Amino acid sequence: MYNNMRQEEERNQTNHVRYVQIVVFRLGDEEYALNIDQIKEVVITPSITRVPQKPSFIKGVANIRGNIIAMLDLEEKFGLRKTIDEHAGNNFTLVIDSAEYKMGVLVKEVPNTLSIAESSIEEITLAGDSGIEQSYIKGIVKLEKRLIIMIDIFKVLSQYEEQQVFKKQTALV
Amino acid sequence: MSTKEEEYRDIFLTEAIENFNEINRLLIVLEKNPEDIKSVHALFRITHTLKGNATGMGFEHIAELAHVLEDLFGAVREGKVIISSEMFVSVYKAADILNELIDAVKNPREVKYRGIKTKLEVMLRSALAERSQSIDETVPAASGYENAIAPELLDMLQNDDEDHIDTATKLSFSHLVQVPVQKLDNLLNLVGELVIERDRIIASGMHSASEYSRLNRISSDLQYSVMDVRLVPVDFLFNKFHRIVRDAASKEEKNVSLKLKGTETEIDRNILQVISDSLIHLVRNAIGHGIEKPEARKQSGKPEYGTVTLEASSESDIVIIAIQDDGGGIDAARIRKRAVEKGILTLADASQWSDRDIIMLIFEPGFSTMDEVTSLAGRGVGMDVVKRALDSIGGTVHIETKVGEGTTFFLRLPSSMAVKATLLFELDNETFAIPLSYTERVISVYKSDIHTVANGLITVYQGRTISLIFLNDLFRQERSSMATLERFHPEAKLEIVVVSFNGRLVGFIVDKLLQQKEIIEKPLQKPADGVSFISGVTILGNGKVCLVLSIPGILNTVNHTQHNKISL
Repeated sequence: MYNNMRQEEERNQTNHVRYVQIVVFRLGDEEYALNIDQIKEVVITPSITRVPQKPSFIKGVANIRGNIIAMLDLEEKFGLRKTIDEHAGNNFTLVIDSAEYKMGVLVKEVPNTLSIAESSIEEITLAGDSGIEQSYIKGIVKLEKRLIIMIDIFKVLSQYEEQQVFKKQTALV
Repeated sequence: MSTKEEEYRDIFLTEAIENFNEINRLLIVLEKNPEDIKSVHALFRITHTLKGNATGMGFEHIAELAHVLEDLFGAVREGKVIISSEMFVSVYKAADILNELIDAVKNPREVKYRGIKTKLEVMLRSALAERSQSIDETVPAASGYENAIAPELLDMLQNDDEDHIDTATKLSFSHLVQVPVQKLDNLLNLVGELVIERDRIIASGMHSASEYSRLNRISSDLQYSVMDVRLVPVDFLFNKFHRIVRDAASKEEKNVSLKLKGTETEIDRNILQVISDSLIHLVRNAIGHGIEKPEARKQSGKPEYGTVTLEASSESDIVIIAIQDDGGGIDAARIRKRAVEKGILTLADASQWSDRDIIMLIFEPGFSTMDEVTSLAGRGVGMDVVKRALDSIGGTVHIETKVGEGTTFFLRLPSSMAVKATLLFELDNETFAIPLSYTERVISVYKSDIHTVANGLITVYQGRTISLIFLNDLFRQERSSMATLERFHPEAKLEIVVVSFNGRLVGFIVDKLLQQKEIIEKPLQKPADGVSFISGVTILGNGKVCLVLSIPGILNTVNHTQHNKISL
């Protein structure tokens, strides 16, 4: 915390503010955001083919411009779904393309982009949490009345994979 | 000359020209820095390879000259000889003549090479002698090499020199191109997408199908051409086994000779790569477990030398590789005993299983019949790896063995990884593909002919019992098959796809059979990967993603759950 503040001060002193672009979308009642660098494009959600043996937050695979990618439902992953209604209009897909992962994140509404000062991302420590489920939260952005949760999508997945490995190990024992 | 031989000759020439260029490059490096031991090592290796390749192809002249160079670099490598600048001149000349000899394979003509060969030999000999003299002065001095060369040889040298002045500077080009496999993979992917796109356009039905006949033909020709490029003859792999067999046999103190058959059979390069470790394992096993020690062989009236045969043959779009040994065979009784000891089978099961099923147990993880562990085989790892490698490319294995006479492993492999003949069917409004290589037949059965046995479903078709599975029950791992069956009308007729895997028949109950289709399969990528029931996906003409079932993956799971049920 102290470090952050100092960095902020330094930046203000040099009068040189770095901006980052983020893509904001709604999950449950909250606003979440990804760094724009992680997103390749936004498309209308194509039809999804279910894949067995996968956790329920991986909805299946879909064909996006000839690439077959996994479709992720983060509301389900984060436990934010309030109604049981399955396909309550996950109309848009954020396509994420990295060397390791190719996937789509399902969202309900058209996401919008925002430009924020890098320094306005606040690191947070969640109270009373065992610490497992928060490493993918990069920070909180406070804008007037809005509160946006920045997440690192790759951390979400690496966590899931670690659990897979762990499961396999315990299954062997 | 057959086209096959021509193709091999071309491959040899490409490699030889490459070798020649590399020799030149290394010589220049070495000339600038005679201390550079790395270059000497490389030169030795290259000349050795060139000699081997040339001998294999029957180009004795190239082999002879390469052999002398190999000896020379061998001596330099061991520090017995230091190449003088004078010697470099001759070595360069030898390299040039080597190039001419290589060129002469393409454009037959006479190239004189004996002169330079003899000169190098003499130089090497005298250099070696000089050295031993400097170490041990009592050895009578050998005179300079010039004196040792007979006058007529000098004449020959002279002639050689005059002959090749005009040809030495000609650059040779091979008419083969070497391409990284990665590029071929890309090309194949693109062709795959093209074919999918073609199907999509045809399926959309804007014009009549005949409108597209040319597009159809061109795209499938293109597809098969690209697949053809990826095919390599199996002897690329088989030839490496001479050494493997020799090393394994000497370690085990056994006498083994290797026979290769059907080496011209062609197979996709990637498949060859996937199974190469498995082949090594099977061959080592054949030597370690199969072939007996020489004394034991003599006692049972067999020739002292055991034989391991690698044979490849093709059957439409399948390649069969057989690994045969004339050793002791696999004793089913011993495996049965072992399986009971290890708790893999109950005594009752063990006595009921057929010898064939029992022998397949050697592919179970952690199973080994050898009591002592040798460095080659018998650690109980490996055979399951062989099976997994085969499963991953849609291949199968079966064993024929006779105690005292030997064992043959038959590997059935797809000749190409790209295109899979599949059967499409529909289940809960989703389309699945099932590889035809596993599909036995398609039957329809009245609900009344399906019986419930210990929580599972079976039916009898033409005297054979087939266990039935609802795929969605398996995928969701919740509902029981009985409950699912209850939902059908009592007089309903059910469509069943019967698959066979390692001699077992299993039927999948499907909603609707669609069509047979050749598909281009793509692997699932992270984070959707690691699904054992699905081997990959393909895109259908309507743009939807279709899952391709992995029969080994599904049946292994089914068998395991059955095992568990029994043991519980």
